Parts: sequence; structure tokens; C-alpha cells
Amino acid sequence: MARRKKKLQEGEVEADLIPVMNVMLLLIPALLLAMEVARFAAISVSPPKYAAAAENKEEKKQEEKPLNLKIFIMEDGYRVSASGQQLGADAGKEADSSRPTIPLAKAGAPLDDYDRYDYAALEAKAQELKNLFRTETVVTISAENSIPMQALTRTMDALRGSKCEMLKAMQSGEAVPEECLFWQPIIDAGAG
Amino acid sequence: MATSEELFAAKKAAKKAARRDKAEEPAILNITSLMDVVSIIVVYLLKSYGTDPVVIAPTSGQKVPMSQADAPLQDGVPIYISKRDITFAEKKIVQLNETGDIDPGALKNHSILPLYDLMAEEADKGKQMAEAKGEEWVGRVILVGDVTLKFSTLVDVMYTAGQAEYTEYVFCVIQQDG
Repeated sequence: MARRKKKLQEGEVEADLIPVMNVMLLLIPALLLAMEVARFAAISVSPPKYAAAAENKEEKKQEEKPLNLKIFIMEDGYRVSASGQQLGADAGKEADSSRPTIPLAKAGAPLDDYDRYDYAALEAKAQELKNLFRTETVVTISAENSIPMQALTRTMDALRGSKCEMLKAMQSGEAVPEECLFWQPIIDAGAG
Repeated sequence: MATSEELFAAKKAAKKAARRDKAEEPAILNITSLMDVVSIIVVYLLKSYGTDPVVIAPTSGQKVPMSQADAPLQDGVPIYISKRDITFAEKKIVQLNETGDIDPGALKNHSILPLYDLMAEEADKGKQMAEAKGEEWVGRVILVGDVTLKFSTLVDVMYTAGQAEYTEYVFCVIQQDG
């Protein structure tokens, strides 16, 4: 204290930090408001004509038939079609409009109940198909007009695989991990 | 002999007298440590703000879908599609009706005309800017939809963006753990 007194007596001026503090305290709420509260992520999708299946062309040639996986999100469940054939449809029929491949997990639930679809069964089906077609990454998704976006994103999550971690691969520049199933969705209109 | 109470009172009175005689010192507030803390917070917040390539600000009442996707958002042009309207370049372009469909007057063969006009204009600006910088223009559009957004409306927006020469589409979602 004695030293400070001495300094003040000598005519040394102390910096007035109050205006700086005022600015700083205004900056904090402004930056907090501008900051993201939730963590946003991205799901890249393609329209049909930009289908990104080109990279696996050569490997596909070796296989007898391309997978050509298509998922139709209908109000009564999922219709899964592979190699031009709806899975679960009667023999000789390409599609079965009366019966979905994967019925609803919560039959009778309204459209805004996003748990109405059986995402676990869809992921299991995707895993089953992935085991048969290891190099396939593309899936075409279509839906009825009334299907909400939340159901669409959860369907894409199930098709990508719950254990798929793209971020690590992207950051390290490695290939997409094997846990990722069908991670290149093509959004197609037409299930209407 | 004085009691302990009397001694205490005497000592107190002496101290009071000493205080009274002493000149009052001006109080100096030491805010250096507070400044340190505030500076660190401001730098941290500025850094967090600076690393976001694109700032997504959903419109009021809009609920962005949740997803387990973990890929980061890349730079692009956001389109906000809430329950009531479609917003692009901070302008409300088209109203949606109660059932979540686009006003039929604004649609022509699945193309949303007012949105197309504005997007085409933005695409031209983007191309010019990229050309001036000597870079290649990437027509990436970030679709910030509502959880209730109907598939038909989403497809119409994507179709319109495609017509305006945007070729990359990204769904903006809120990252959900597990």
C-alpha cells in the first residue's frame, strides 16, 4: 500500500479499465447469443441424376446383379426393394402394394409420432444386405407426400448404421468405416 | 483492577478514536483479475464464433430434426423451411398452408417460382464472386427443415434448387448423442 501511495504521489497514472470492462461485458452476451446452442450436423443427399455410385463401378461389374437398394417410406411401413424386387413380396411379383416389407412398430400411431417406424428392423435389414454387397453405399429413398422430415432423417440414420462415425474418418482422411452401411442417400420423388 | 469487559471497551474506544483521527483513504477497486477472466471468456467466445463456417439461425417456432449424423456443416446457402413459410436470403418467400403444402399459385411443375428467382440471382452473385477470387463455385444448399416438413414440399424445394443450378444438397440436423 505504501508503495502504491508513493507511486501515485510521484504522478504515475493508473489505467482506467472501467470502459474496457463495459465493452467486454456487452460482448459476452452478444457472442453468447450468436453462438450455436445446439450442435448442428449435416446429412449430404443427392437428387437422382447426381447419383454418386460411380466410384464403385468396377467392383460392381464383378457382381452378378447390382443391389439397387430402394426404400419407400409409406404410411403403413417400409417397402424395401433390392435388385428390382420388393423384399417380402410374393414370388413372381416385383412389388406388393398391400403389405410393407417392414410394418410399423407402433401400428395406428399418428404421423407426428416419429417412433411409429421400426428403425431397428430397417437397420437389421440394411446390415443383412450390406453383408451380401460389401461395396454398396448408395440407397435411394422415396416417401409418401405426407411423411415428415423427422421420419426421413431417422430412416437415413438407420440406413447409415447406428455405429457409423463419419466425423473421425473425415478428420483423419481415412476411408469411411465398415460400420457405415448405406451412407449415400439419393432422395427420389415418386412414391407419392 | 479493571474487569475484562472494561478492558475490552477501553481498547475499542481507543481504536475508534484512532480511526476518527485518521484521514479517509480513497478506495481503489482492483479489477485486474476480473479483467483476466472476462478477457479469457471473450477470446473463447470469439474463437467459437469464428470457426463456424455457416451460422444457422432457425426461424421462430421451427424445430430442426434430430439425427445421429456427425458430419460437420460445410459452407453453403441455407433455406429455412418452417411450418408456415420458406425463408431464403433473410426473406420470407413463400407461405405454407395449414397442411404444410406450398401455395399452389407459387408452384409450376414442382418449381417454386419466387424461390427460383431469388436462388438464381444468388447463384449468379456467387458465381461472379467465385470468378473474381479465381475459385470454382460450389452450388451447395443447406436445407434447414422443420420436423413436420412434408416430403412433397421438401422435394419441391430440392427440385427448385436444382433448377437454379445448385447441385449439392445438405440436410441440416441437430446432432443427437447415441
